[in-house]
Amino acid sequence: MIIAERKPFHEIKEAVAPFEKILIVGCGTCVAVCLAGGEKEVGLLASQLKLALGLEGKRPEIGEITVERQCDLEFIRPLCDFIADYDAIISTACGAGVQFLGELCHMKPLFPALNTTFIGVNETVGFYTERCRACHNCYLGVTGGICPVTMCPKGLLNGPCGGNVQGKCEVDPARACAWCDIYERLEREGRLGQIEKILPLHPHDRTTTPGAVIHPAYRRRYGGHE
Amino acid sequence: MSKLREALEAGHFPLVAEIKPPKGVVRDGWLAPVKALEGKVTAFGVPDNEHARMKLSALAAAVLVQQAGGEPVLHLTCRDRNRLALESDLLGAGALGLENILAVSGDYVTLGDHPQAKPVYDADSVQLLQIARGLMAGHDSADLPLSGNPNFYLGAVLIPEAEPLGPQLLKFRKKVAAGAQFFVTPSIFDLEKFRRFRQSLGDQPVKILACVKVVSPEEVAQAATGQHRKVYSLPAAVLQELAGKDPEETLLKGAAVAGDLLKKIRTEKLADGVYLKAQGRSDLLALVLEAAGA
Repeated sequence: MIIAERKPFHEIKEAVAPFEKILIVGCGTCVAVCLAGGEKEVGLLASQLKLALGLEGKRPEIGEITVERQCDLEFIRPLCDFIADYDAIISTACGAGVQFLGELCHMKPLFPALNTTFIGVNETVGFYTERCRACHNCYLGVTGGICPVTMCPKGLLNGPCGGNVQGKCEVDPARACAWCDIYERLEREGRLGQIEKILPLHPHDRTTTPGAVIHPAYRRRYGGHE
Repeated sequence: MSKLREALEAGHFPLVAEIKPPKGVVRDGWLAPVKALEGKVTAFGVPDNEHARMKLSALAAAVLVQQAGGEPVLHLTCRDRNRLALESDLLGAGALGLENILAVSGDYVTLGDHPQAKPVYDADSVQLLQIARGLMAGHDSADLPLSGNPNFYLGAVLIPEAEPLGPQLLKFRKKVAAGAQFFVTPSIFDLEKFRRFRQSLGDQPVKILACVKVVSPEEVAQAATGQHRKVYSLPAAVLQELAGKDPEETLLKGAAVAGDLLKKIRTEKLADGVYLKAQGRSDLLALVLEAAGA
């Protein structure tokens, strides 16, 4: 899922301070799981804003609404009429959700409440770690299910750098060297032979932004965008 | 042909002394070892933004070494360049007559003095060696032909004390397959460990330059407080010899220790040559050579 963190409060407050009617739109999927932008966090942000702006003598009207996913038109289209009543919108979605919402309410100033950080996993409550860089060319089948592009800070494709010390990463000694893990796992599985071959340079042309994917079944319908 | 290559292939046990490109454009001082050690060392190592700290371009520094009469070993890091820049710099090196290339991944940016810089690593060191071999064969990494092929003597890094060793040996095999002809190790202090490593490596079609280093007072201080985190070990006996001295005394004593190591590596044929690191200082480098009887 997408992991995000809330921006420093002062940054959000300064962005919306000039407005009198502010709507905070939450997102009920990834950012709700990582406790950054779901319904509960929308409520907290609304209370904080009311208090902080109140101390400055302002009495803004702050509305709250959370949709299932801001990255899906099906869920944000019904917001159109609701948004019309406000001067400014704060989105607590990831960067994708903020932009999609922005396309819908493009006449209103829109501010993100989060910094989107990575595609990761929910290790345990409140602890999320990165697993995927969305590189368009998955190596996991070759590298024993451990991603060298993400888990090695240098994204090295052909083995460890010279900086790991006792299997710990040069960049963060608290973390295992991804290539030591890859080697160990494949050795255990008797599949070391598959990393002996030199992997070629990564095809970065595929990662030219903004990316687009059309499902094969819909190529005829959207072929013009390919 | 590269003098380093000639000396290694002839079994002459060449010495490579590392110089330190400055953070600035000054030409005095850092080039002094080239004149001072003329005839005593075969080549001069030119680090490329070593430890991710921004310095004078290694390519420019290598040319200045050449102009001062020395033969450079140009380090080329994958950290700061995409494949276009790597290839372009390799062609530049070739056109300027620089043959010795040491392909390195490069310490990560957050460990250096520009921690917010974008790390590149478009190629890794294995792929960089492949790229260089391709250029030598007359084509770039996009398989497009060159007008004039460069000629390189390609080197890479080998970590004898890596733990675990398996992943490093995997990388070593790939580097050899990609075209590395010589290898440089990190600093070697524990000769027993190094001897065992050489034996385990068996016969390889490559030459190995063991790194001998004059330990810095900072490193001694780190080791004393248990903060020494390097890919090589500093044995207690060495630390004992260097501890409790003022910084300059530590360096002088470190030069004597390094000289002794150099002498043993040469006498016992533990490596094909030595890569000497002594803060880039002519006086320390000369002291090491004197102590080694070189």
